[in-house]
Amino acid sequence: MTGRARARGRPPRQAPALPAVGGAPVPQGVPGQLRGQQQPQQAQHPHPQQLQQPQRPQHPHPQQLQQLHVPPAQAEEPGAHGRLRGCEGVLQERRPEGLLVSSGLQDMSLRDRGGRRRDFHDLGVNTRQAMVHVQESKTGFSGKMIKLTTNHFRLTSRPQWALYQYHVGYSPEMEARRLRSALLFQHEDTIGRTHAFDGTVLFLPRKLDAKVTELFSRTRNGEDVKITVTLTNELPPTSPTCLQFYNIIFRRLLKMLNLQQIGRNYYNPNDPISIPNHRLMVWLGFTSSILQYEENIMLCADVSHKVLRGETVLDTMHSLHSQVGEERFRDTCAKELIGLIVLTKYNNRTYRIDDIDWDNNPKGTFRKSDGSEISFVEYYKKQYNIEISDWMQPVLISQMKRGKGNIQGSVALIPELCSLTGLTDKMRRDFNMMKDLAIHTRLPPEQRQRELGRLLNYIQKDDNVQKELRNWGLSFDYKSVSFTGRVVQGEKIIQSGSMFDYSPQFADWTKETRGVPLIHAVPMDSWLLIYTRRNHDVANTLLQSLFKVTPSMGIHMNKPNMIEVDDRTEAYLRVLQQRITPDTNIVVCILSSSRKDKYDAIKKYLCTDCPVPSQCVLARTLSKPQTIMTVATKIALQMNCKMGGELWSVEIPLKQVMIVGIDCYHDTVAGKQSIAGFVASLNQGMTRWFSRCVVQSRGQELVDGIKVCLQTALRNWSKWNRCLPSRIFVYRDGVGDGQLNTLVNYEVPQFLDCLKSIGADYSPKLTVIVVKKRVGARFFAEIGGGLRNPPPGTVVDTVVTRPEWYDFFVVSQAVKNGCVAPTHYNVVYDTSQLKPDHVQRLTYKLCHMYYNWSGIIRVPAPCQYAHKLAFLVGQSIHREPSLMLSDRLYYL
Amino acid sequence: MPQGPSPALRAVRRSSRRSPGCLSPVGAAACAGRELAVGEKHCQNTMDKNFQEEFTQIIKFQPPLYKQRYQFVKDLVEKYKPKKVADLGCADCSLLWMLKFCSCIEVLAGVDICANVMKEKMHTLSPLPVDYLQPSERSLTVTLHHGSVAHKDPCMLGFDLVTCIELIEHLEESELKKFPEVVFGFMAPSIVVISTPNSEFNPLLPRVMLYRHPDHKFEWSQAQFQSWALETARCYNYSVEFTGVGHPPAGMEKVGFCTQIGVFVRKYPQTGESLQSEKPTEAVYKTVFKAVYPSLKDEKYLQNAVISEVIFTAQIIKHHLMSKHKEYGDECERKPKFQPSMDRFSDHLGKLVVEKDMEPFVSGNEIYIPLTTIFSFPKVNRLCGTFEKLRELIAGKVTLSSDGSAVMFNIEHENEEN
Repeated sequence: MTGRARARGRPPRQAPALPAVGGAPVPQGVPGQLRGQQQPQQAQHPHPQQLQQPQRPQHPHPQQLQQLHVPPAQAEEPGAHGRLRGCEGVLQERRPEGLLVSSGLQDMSLRDRGGRRRDFHDLGVNTRQAMVHVQESKTGFSGKMIKLTTNHFRLTSRPQWALYQYHVGYSPEMEARRLRSALLFQHEDTIGRTHAFDGTVLFLPRKLDAKVTELFSRTRNGEDVKITVTLTNELPPTSPTCLQFYNIIFRRLLKMLNLQQIGRNYYNPNDPISIPNHRLMVWLGFTSSILQYEENIMLCADVSHKVLRGETVLDTMHSLHSQVGEERFRDTCAKELIGLIVLTKYNNRTYRIDDIDWDNNPKGTFRKSDGSEISFVEYYKKQYNIEISDWMQPVLISQMKRGKGNIQGSVALIPELCSLTGLTDKMRRDFNMMKDLAIHTRLPPEQRQRELGRLLNYIQKDDNVQKELRNWGLSFDYKSVSFTGRVVQGEKIIQSGSMFDYSPQFADWTKETRGVPLIHAVPMDSWLLIYTRRNHDVANTLLQSLFKVTPSMGIHMNKPNMIEVDDRTEAYLRVLQQRITPDTNIVVCILSSSRKDKYDAIKKYLCTDCPVPSQCVLARTLSKPQTIMTVATKIALQMNCKMGGELWSVEIPLKQVMIVGIDCYHDTVAGKQSIAGFVASLNQGMTRWFSRCVVQSRGQELVDGIKVCLQTALRNWSKWNRCLPSRIFVYRDGVGDGQLNTLVNYEVPQFLDCLKSIGADYSPKLTVIVVKKRVGARFFAEIGGGLRNPPPGTVVDTVVTRPEWYDFFVVSQAVKNGCVAPTHYNVVYDTSQLKPDHVQRLTYKLCHMYYNWSGIIRVPAPCQYAHKLAFLVGQSIHREPSLMLSDRLYYL
Repeated sequence: MPQGPSPALRAVRRSSRRSPGCLSPVGAAACAGRELAVGEKHCQNTMDKNFQEEFTQIIKFQPPLYKQRYQFVKDLVEKYKPKKVADLGCADCSLLWMLKFCSCIEVLAGVDICANVMKEKMHTLSPLPVDYLQPSERSLTVTLHHGSVAHKDPCMLGFDLVTCIELIEHLEESELKKFPEVVFGFMAPSIVVISTPNSEFNPLLPRVMLYRHPDHKFEWSQAQFQSWALETARCYNYSVEFTGVGHPPAGMEKVGFCTQIGVFVRKYPQTGESLQSEKPTEAVYKTVFKAVYPSLKDEKYLQNAVISEVIFTAQIIKHHLMSKHKEYGDECERKPKFQPSMDRFSDHLGKLVVEKDMEPFVSGNEIYIPLTTIFSFPKVNRLCGTFEKLRELIAGKVTLSSDGSAVMFNIEHENEEN
């Protein structure tokens, strides 16, 4: 099926300007692939699952202690503003608390942000210092220079600026924070009007005269209180505490600009883009982070889009009901709604729907904090004057988690009072909807910078904001940073002894390699073609087309065993059980609809019980005569990869090297499982890969499973090459914000342990590179007075990289619409002694090797393979596929 | 910190603390004073144990007194349905926040002498994202002014209800003198609510030495308050009724309510615009906050809502039409089974009197859904009111048939959808 073929073939291209969906914790919000759905001209309709990228864990962390069934917002705390949403990943459990951030600041953020804060920027993880060969320089040299601008803006402070941190003590001891503040701020003439205070730690932009200042206040009870303000720290502008402090201040500014906080970002509610066809509304907003970059502290700001829905959860339930009918209604609701983030009508918080309580309804009661019972209907009437009109609706359940104490509780929400944010999986599958959305969210470079300019303009023009900045002694450079990057030369594509150049502009060699024999074509001597009666003609069309396209590729193909089945899952499975023989090369199933259960059942059977490569095709994708040849070509290539064929290669100068790719898939809805895909190269040309995956339930450690994978990968590599690799490169994708520390401290040592266990005299060179697709940085090439996307092969390793890391950006893919998103590579461990230039080049080469896309993709091929594998297992199979398939790309 | 106090104690503490009267011109110091009152926990800390027990026996306010005061205002709003409400001495805006949910109110204003205390929580008065997503029918503007009740500002004219909850006891003598002229003479709303502590109740509140709050300039007995109120009412042609919240313990009814309240109703009819313009005053208040809530009264939001509803309704009808089509030919895998109870739309479609010109139809690659059909849907109907308004609002924004009588969809690519 080309839908499938293409969808699979879709490389993860860029992810800019994506609507920040629901609760995605990262600025970019939306799975990169959505954005990258640029398919070849004949737009095919991707299969449901394909569009979805594994969701990063996105559990909102409303840091709030709630008892069971206490509806949100108590009257005592009206309109609490949006909560920080944390994300919690596989690695979370062992993440040491309180990294390098001063405890004082954590307290402060608690105050300012309403919750425990995670170190989203991985501050203080200093990996570069351990790598001697990049101490001096981590920059490459090859390629042509290119002038780039970015979305970073310098933060400037007065000369000799410092932030003064004080400890504030009370005698007698005062408990209430508000009282503590009130008592302290009676002395504003001493401490000044500009301050940030969390009850214990006080930050001031200036130094008080004495190191210890004693102040005296009187409570309303006439009690005298001595306040001791002690200077504890003089923070230079670059200290991690200061950086967090800047971020808090900047968020204050956005709030002052009357932007609405939803999740982690701020959005402008005043000019929403409305898409009535789909009842969507898109708000334009900004993501921002202030960090220490190579030479300067800079603000990295990007345009973000928030997709909001003009309907309530109840509306959605009604329309689901009308679509699926009574018997599948509850299941469908659960599938569609659980995991989504909702906004409530009465407060400014976001909640994640974790469950639906069908046995409850608005007439149900809950216990208020004062112990009294009240029904939802009454509560909302009394509290917010809201009349609930539908008393039969179920109740939504949202789990509340409190970071440190791990005190849990859940909150009940009324569907009628909740608005959905973000997109459901179903919407993401809706090609037309995504197309309509993309028009608004994929901003081309010029426009993106213009929107950004508008934000900076607001900041510059707003008196209050300027005053706040002045008071803290801070200001911004309103012109974005410009610098020079490099465009490394294109690779030569090697296929059956011929070399091809591709057009650097499109980064695609579909045309160039058309009709060229594959490096290694697996013959299709014995194969099954299964279809329903209705698709009889379609099956024949496919077969004929395959016979036309395969000879030039060098694929030998016999007539298949053609089998007609009823359009029922069991019928397909029965045929598979009866007709597959040990000689069967591949099974092709033509499906008449994109129903997931049938697809899942077939894949599950053929990946575990009866390991045979399989290809599913949607009948619809074969129905158009004008595209059938292209479709057949794609399918032939894809099938060949699945059977162990090799398509093309690029020159890899390093010898005896094994490349590993790892990515994770988190099943947030169903089983709460996480799946790590692990893919390792088997040969010099990087054309064959060994694949395994680790399926683990929530809370289990990922690393142990990966150790086993690495061991078997090494065994297989040595079987293929009759020696062990002398160099190992691990490209690790799927590392969430704030998880870097865990990776460096736990996962890397596990790799080393594993290598040690292979043999005492075996010590290969190991390089571990963390791959991050969702980054805030955007680069624009200044070409002809305008801003364009930088060409594929653009490497950035200065100015916007981090001084404490050996990191670089590569723009490897080409995009037709919107802004290209660079991929960030962070070399966290490296004993290879290779020059940074070589590591960069190798990385770029590997982006050419993804066989489902005859072009360059966003990440090194092993990462994308690992992603595909984890995705297939997470979505359809739910356990580790048979190892019999492990030397083939059966999951493409 | 020791275990929290009994709920009763907490109640009382709150009762005395939430005196949102921070109108005294003392300014920042007064604000801080107010803040101090907030330190309930502290009070609990240092409270003598025996005292506590005795205390609990004496007084029990449930719900807390400050809530009772707010509820009193809310009930009043429910009863009189004022459109414009001002809260003098709004402090941390909690009363305003409660009032913003009252659907009759279209203008809410708060005034306080201390800008900082207003700013602290004023963001709670901003519209929520959902207010933008589902604009309400009523319009609502919330404004906060920094200023004194001893000064007249034209922005305070034309209100229906003015509330002064625990305000007057914070006023200096000179301000208190000017207060009636400003509120009753100048603002002259239909209703004024004034609440203030009843000093006769104070002996029941331990640890209240002189006044309940250090910033209080006085606390009146019932007789004192009533004579002041009656005199003021007489002078400005209002009637006044007395009530209160916080019932005294049984057997001590003589003491009166813990908080005494006077409700003043203007005896003469609404002052005309002309009369107000005869009160030339300069603006002395400083606006510190203003939020205009999205409302369907605003053409921009109405149009968006109508377009969205029209297209959505049309889509539903189209969906029905096409699934009906399918049912005949195909061995369709999932025949939609509509459950009228849960399915408003099919329900409505069924009930529609199917007149000839209201029936949607397919012609070639196009589907036509007559506007009259769409207009007959309650939601669309309610939004637009008239058919002409519907046409006017969607003109140029929704693809219509050539004669403009029907919404048109091209379904050529439709089959490619799932």
